[in-house]
Amino acid sequence: MSHEGLEFAGHELARASLDACVKCTICETMCPVSAVTPLFSGPKFVGPQAERFRNGDSVDHSLDYCSSCGTCTLVCPQGVQIAELNSQARAVMKADHMPLRDKLIGQTVLMGKVMTPVAPIAKAALNNKPIRAMMEAVVKVHRDAPMPPPQGQTFEGWFRKRPKPSRTPTRGALVFFHGCAGGYFEVETSKKSVEVLEHLGYEVIVPKQGCCGLAQQSNGLFDQATASVLKLCDDLRAAGTDLTIISSSGSCTGMLKHEAHEIMGVTDDKLKDVGTRIRDIMEFLLDLHEAGELPTDFAPIDMTVPYHAPCQLKSQGMGMPAVEVLKLIPDLTVVESGAVCCGIAGTYGLKKEKYDIAQAVGRPLFEMVKKTNPDLALCDTETCRWQIEQSSGVKTEHPIFLVHRAYGLS
Amino acid sequence: MSRVVVIGAGLAGLVAANRLASAGVGVTLLTKGIGGLQLSQGTIDVLGYAPDRVTNPVLTLSAIASARPGHPYAAIGAAGVHTGIEYLKQLLPDLLVGDAEANYQLPTAVGAIRPTCLVQPSMVAGHLKDGAKVAVVGLRRLKDFHPALVAENLARTTLPDGGRLVARPVSVDVPARDAEVDSSGLTYARAFDDPAFRARFAAALKPLLGDGETVGLPAVLGLKDRTAWSDLADKLGHPVFEIPLPPPSVPGMRLNEALMASAKAAGVRVVNGTRAVSVRVEDGVVKGVTVATAGADREFTADAFVLAAGGFESGALALDSYGTVTETLFGLPLAGLDAGPLVHGDYWGPEQPLFSVGVRVAGDMRVLDGNGAVVHPNLYAAGGIIGGSSRWAEKSGDGIAVGSAVVAADSILEVLA
Ligand SMILES: Cc1cc2nc3c(=O)[nH]c(=O)nc-3n(C[C@H](O)[C@H](O)[C@H](O)COP(=O)(O)OP(=O)(O)OC[C@H]3O[C@@H](n4cnc5c(N)ncnc54)[C@H](O)[C@@H]3O)c2cc1C
Ligand code: SF4
Ligand code: SF4
Repeated sequence: MSHEGLEFAGHELARASLDACVKCTICETMCPVSAVTPLFSGPKFVGPQAERFRNGDSVDHSLDYCSSCGTCTLVCPQGVQIAELNSQARAVMKADHMPLRDKLIGQTVLMGKVMTPVAPIAKAALNNKPIRAMMEAVVKVHRDAPMPPPQGQTFEGWFRKRPKPSRTPTRGALVFFHGCAGGYFEVETSKKSVEVLEHLGYEVIVPKQGCCGLAQQSNGLFDQATASVLKLCDDLRAAGTDLTIISSSGSCTGMLKHEAHEIMGVTDDKLKDVGTRIRDIMEFLLDLHEAGELPTDFAPIDMTVPYHAPCQLKSQGMGMPAVEVLKLIPDLTVVESGAVCCGIAGTYGLKKEKYDIAQAVGRPLFEMVKKTNPDLALCDTETCRWQIEQSSGVKTEHPIFLVHRAYGLS
Repeated sequence: MSRVVVIGAGLAGLVAANRLASAGVGVTLLTKGIGGLQLSQGTIDVLGYAPDRVTNPVLTLSAIASARPGHPYAAIGAAGVHTGIEYLKQLLPDLLVGDAEANYQLPTAVGAIRPTCLVQPSMVAGHLKDGAKVAVVGLRRLKDFHPALVAENLARTTLPDGGRLVARPVSVDVPARDAEVDSSGLTYARAFDDPAFRARFAAALKPLLGDGETVGLPAVLGLKDRTAWSDLADKLGHPVFEIPLPPPSVPGMRLNEALMASAKAAGVRVVNGTRAVSVRVEDGVVKGVTVATAGADREFTADAFVLAAGGFESGALALDSYGTVTETLFGLPLAGLDAGPLVHGDYWGPEQPLFSVGVRVAGDMRVLDGNGAVVHPNLYAAGGIIGGSSRWAEKSGDGIAVGSAVVAADSILEVLA
């Protein structure tokens, strides 16, 4: 194996951490996948246990069912990098026979570029049963899986063409990282984030930017993912090397903060630079609040709303900043879902052979959401929102929507 | 800014966070992972052996407190334990019963009889009386529970009050999920949450039970559904009790999840998956704790800090190859290091002194140095980090955790008021 990423996966690893495993089973109790299917032997077995015997391929092929949600690493009290070990071992396992589908669904920018100009057609195609059945047969993407909502305008297009903000910045500049989903599909989330930041008095710089490579990474395509993430670091650094970078794309933020380094072994200084300067937008707002710098002249929103913290946000180890920020809005009651995972885990739940598992994982969440508020749910990452919305029928938005509204911006 | 930061989410940290937050104080709970409750039996031990079997824990701990000034109970006091036990019962009314004045004596998964103070309602019928007839029921696909081992040991045991019982093993084979031949206790617990599964299970078991038998089952009778065990008892027409298993402990998970849920409901900000790696102290006062989050480190500041990070088992204490023991976050002074060799070679002999090493605390749970002076005016300790006892031998670890947590919280509330 000559690829740098896979070499790291094969040899270097977060492997040292497996010796810290005391077999306490705590990870087992929280894994959302082994909870719903006997096909997966669970984090302790495929992780620290199987890893001990791994020389090349994993000895436990049920590993492929791990969704890489990261929950096991988060709850392990001994610091074992279970999910990271799994992602590495899976990349090695799939290296020789990567399914075409897994290569394709990593191409998030391409999907966005192709769909945006033909949004209505794309939308119709994605809602068309025979087309989806064909997609399922040919590329093995499940016919009922949630798909990104094609938009008529990209975020970049909006940002360039909109009238100049009337307010003069009073607080300095920030760099905004929108991610591919935030650029092409979840355009509204990106717009609202920028408007909130500008309302707070920041100048928002949006450099031309590519993809973080997360979907490629989670599908085991480490070479491509490494190239993508390093290119993105260059893009973001082009806007300045001392500015705080803000993102409303929870999972891509995680890729930059730790996953590219911990899973693929990327050690480049520019990743370290970007990874330490980037903040999730709700994290940033909470930081401002704690420093006494967040205006809290929020208009009341009289509503009870379910909030689901996505796995990739939780795995950043910062708690749930959105819950704390939303608490500042008068009359708003936020009910945390308490659910481990919505099931989608990036692209996992799209796959034909994983779809039913992903739905079973998410079911308690879907029920909770419907019961709490049939009209609106909140969640910080794109694919999780699509999953919740598709499976519960409840409109699901980024928490920034309510902040935007409470500031009187919508 | 939260006014109090609690480090650690074991029994001690969860109780402290709950008590502080329900008094209206802003609390942030920092933890690098799930605490020890899921590894416990899901009961609350206050004092089990001293060294003889204890029947009234609070009474006996008062004696220990006066005889051994270095014991955690000397600082916490009987009143502190009492307050803690009552508070915990009030937090978890449908999960814990009992009182601090009496121990239950319950069968273990190897058929011994274990003293413990608060138990889950699903375990009460396991407090067996002279003449009891017990059917110990195992599930063939649950490899952590051996009904013959339990039944045979129980049958040859004299109960703590002198009584005898008869016990026999029974095995049933009801799969928790299709095509799985080796299911964990947790998988069974999830199955028992489903009334339809309970009905199937009861139908398979009922014909195998004899008149007047009490049914002992592995502690897998539901994770979320608090009525799963009583519904099963109704369906069987026999009293039922749960026997705790090795981890994953379903009764421990029930306690852990309930305490975490009540903490969140009380407004505690929980930051999980982050290790506290350093502290900032100015003029002796603790100002902040820094955690290693993904990306950049992050400091949490507060008026007061509760160190509830456990002991060796959770990495709060560490022993290096030179035999040096350290408290890994604050570098606090430790008591119990001068008791001679920390580890002696006699495996079956007296307790190893190493396991009594920990911090020493004042009556308000502030950490003391070797001279009895307060180390940091706003640093409190709770739970396993407090030295002076071999908690698993005494079966005192839960009582120490709950008592010290409540006393620490109340001391902080007094200072902040
Ligand atoms: C093998 C064994 C058997 C035992 N048996 C019994 C028994 O039968 N009866 C009994 O009463 N007691 C028993 N005990 C003792 C009992 O387990 C402990 O006293 C009790 O669990 C302590 O609870 P705690 O909350 O203090 O710590 P723990 O439950 O260990 O929790 C510590 C918490 O701190 C967190 N943490 C640690 N370091 C950091 C850090 N740097 N940053 C962030 N978070 C951190 C951990 O993640 C964890 O959440 C036993 C102990 C052992 C080791
Ligand atoms: S939680 Fe960590 S220490 Fe416990 S079994 Fe899992 S990997 Fe091992
Ligand atoms: S990453 Fe998620 S799915 Fe994979 S083993 Fe860990 S908890 Fe289970």
